[in-house]
Amino acid sequence: MNYPVWDVPVLGGAWVIAIIAIIHVLISHFAVGGGLFLPMAERRALAQGRAEWMPLLKRHSRFFLVLTAAAGTVTGVGIWFSIGLGSPAGTSALIHNFVFVWAIEWVFFLVEITAAAVYYYTWDRVSDKLHLAVGWVYAVSSLWTLIIINGILAFMLTPAGAWLDAAGTGDEVRTLWPAFFNAEYWPSLIARALVAISLAGTYALVTVSLLDGAKHGDLKESFARWSSRWVLPGFVLMPIAMGWFVAALPEGAREILALGVGSAGVGAFTQVTRAALYAAVGSATIAPIVLLLVWRDARHLRLSHALAVIGLALLTTGASEMAREMLRKPYVVRGYMYSNGLLEAAVDTPEERMASYLANSPWVRPAEAQAWASPVSSESYQLDRGELMYRGQCMACHTRDGYRSTRRLLASRDRDGIQSILTMLHERPEDSPYNRYMPPLVGTADEIAALGDYLFEDTTVARRAYLKKEGLTEDESVAPAEPEAQD
Amino acid sequence: MWRGSMAKSSSAGLSALGARVWNWCDERLALSSIWAIAEKKTVPLHRHTFWYFWGGISLLLFIVQAITGVLLLIYYRPGPEAYDSVRSITYDIQFGWFVRSLHSWAANLMVFAVFVHMFSVAFMKAYRRPREFGWWTGLALMGLVLVFGFSGYLLPWDELSYFATAVGLEIPRSLPGVGALIANIVQGGPEVSTVTVQRFFALHVFVLPLVFMGILGVHLALIMRHGSAVPPSEEARPERERRSIPFFPNFATQDLVMWLICFNVLCVMAFVFPWQLGKPADPLASAPEGIHPEWYFMSQFQVLKVLGEWIPGYLGEILGIGLFTLGGVLWGLLPLYDNTSQSGVRARHATWLALIALIGLLALTIWGYAGL
Repeated sequence: MNYPVWDVPVLGGAWVIAIIAIIHVLISHFAVGGGLFLPMAERRALAQGRAEWMPLLKRHSRFFLVLTAAAGTVTGVGIWFSIGLGSPAGTSALIHNFVFVWAIEWVFFLVEITAAAVYYYTWDRVSDKLHLAVGWVYAVSSLWTLIIINGILAFMLTPAGAWLDAAGTGDEVRTLWPAFFNAEYWPSLIARALVAISLAGTYALVTVSLLDGAKHGDLKESFARWSSRWVLPGFVLMPIAMGWFVAALPEGAREILALGVGSAGVGAFTQVTRAALYAAVGSATIAPIVLLLVWRDARHLRLSHALAVIGLALLTTGASEMAREMLRKPYVVRGYMYSNGLLEAAVDTPEERMASYLANSPWVRPAEAQAWASPVSSESYQLDRGELMYRGQCMACHTRDGYRSTRRLLASRDRDGIQSILTMLHERPEDSPYNRYMPPLVGTADEIAALGDYLFEDTTVARRAYLKKEGLTEDESVAPAEPEAQD
Repeated sequence: MWRGSMAKSSSAGLSALGARVWNWCDERLALSSIWAIAEKKTVPLHRHTFWYFWGGISLLLFIVQAITGVLLLIYYRPGPEAYDSVRSITYDIQFGWFVRSLHSWAANLMVFAVFVHMFSVAFMKAYRRPREFGWWTGLALMGLVLVFGFSGYLLPWDELSYFATAVGLEIPRSLPGVGALIANIVQGGPEVSTVTVQRFFALHVFVLPLVFMGILGVHLALIMRHGSAVPPSEEARPERERRSIPFFPNFATQDLVMWLICFNVLCVMAFVFPWQLGKPADPLASAPEGIHPEWYFMSQFQVLKVLGEWIPGYLGEILGIGLFTLGGVLWGLLPLYDNTSQSGVRARHATWLALIALIGLLALTIWGYAGL
């Protein structure tokens, strides 16, 4: 069975979402910042009589239109496809709560794209005043798309208490505004706006770098210098915005952020800290790089320089989005739904977690559910049950042989060692280090045993390689100690 | 109006203050003469200018090594406690893993940068008169970088570092007559042990940095004296068609940009692939399967391995060491062989030698890893 559980080898569904989303963020934030950049640059050019700026701005608006309207749209739709496949329960929860909010965003998006096309194609064809007005229509509508989507993204990390209380009652719509204007709404909106403004200046360097500095030195210098100043607000204010963001995080998320301070050891969940640290390094160095490139020698600015900066921006964007997403662990909507689609309220107590997963899973055909839930003595049937458990509860975050490979992570464990970790995930003792970033394991004792049998079988090759490397035999293999709780 | 004149007078005041500070320092430090040199120095601008940055990148990575090395010194304990202290740095001390990862990755990137710098100098013929001593000090620095790498590798005293060092020290041990003595002196005994760690620590932290900085100073002074060399393709152009930019502030600014980009690359490596620690070294255990030295010694290792298979015994080892020594001597004599732009056929020979050296090193390294 592949559909409806999305089995992506090596990368995992989550990384497919991540790759598409990171590219989309890099483009969409440029769409917002660039939307402000173009009319402001045009207004400056008109006010100061810089007629030589206009052909350059026209070229930049064409680059802007192609990148944002084409690549931005395609990746935006790509996000919808990938989240629907990778996290259908999470996507469903968001749609049910924010469908009209999204509809409003799409209206602004339609106006944005239309305005972008009109802005480019009416250049030199309409009056300056009208052209500038179209640019401002674009800028405002683009900003509104950010204002709206930011609420939904921030909600996933910090849904309001009022919404959590109403969740599952059918009355969630009454808590729409607290859910939308949640704790992380304002710090993340400010941070994203600063990123958008910085990216506007950065992308403009791509266009200006194509000018021949020998023939158009003054133009190249004046435009490059003006564009480079757009990175300054982000450079100065981003530390404040990020400080506010961290302060507004729930305590559990802050604990995850701290996990990687004392160690980046294998087995400890430290990726969030490392991603966040790189985001800080990248943010701190992009502005000096941009300013240094254009400070004394704007005339010699080349495309390779500009693309290097865009490359750094991509790395920084990727690191910050990765950190932001992983801060939500083990949830897809914090406090409501785990990454694998299980609702926290439905599996909160040990008794609830002992209920059959397969009999209640939305991914098992109803006619077959009871049969899968019943223990049968056949080994192949047991392994198939175990695989269903794996697909339903583990594959949201793990792959077999790639990212967070269960084969690699469990290779050093024998059958009892695998069972011990499954028991810890199922019982969730308070001091378990996994509680911070893994959902509880749900199922009857037979289902969990089936999962253990499946994982043991699936890790056979990896385990033999591990034993050979360590000079051990099957009988000598020992379950390693659990990672220490990070305080 | 009044705000404008306030701003003007405050900036005039700042300029006057700045001028007074400059004059005070200049009288004592001769800053004007340094400025005069910096102002006059230019860097050729052509399609190979990118390769001029690699010396600066090597320097940046050395600075990172020095800073992170000092930070590691706070917690590292050479000798029997080496492993525990590195374990503590990596898994207990806040951001200890980060400082150690920066140090380890900067070491690898520095070796890479030095090799790129060396080969770019070779292909651009920047060893020619009057830059011979620049070439020789550069080779000395490269040798020191490799010794830095070799000595630092042992310091964690884990399984991999122990066996890699033991295998590496087989090379000097195989020298006729003096081999055993040299190995004993280096190891501090008949075998690699925690005494070796203490010796390598003193070498790595005190002796090598002193020697390195001395030679580096000479190397940089020679560059300042002779300026950046122009490659043969640029030499062939008429003088009036050649372009250059001032070193300060134009090239220096670009250098700084490259440093910031390089620092980003270093941080990505440290964050995505943080350096871990293997099991503690156990001299009584057998070597892990596929034990091999670090990548920058892999080509030499492969030569010795292959020659050892073709010509078993003592002779094979001597031949291998001899080949590399010969190669190193020829490489060092390059400036004397191909000395001017009128070298003619010698220039072509030198280019071929550089190409063979580069391809040989790459091929042997890949072959070495493929054979693991």
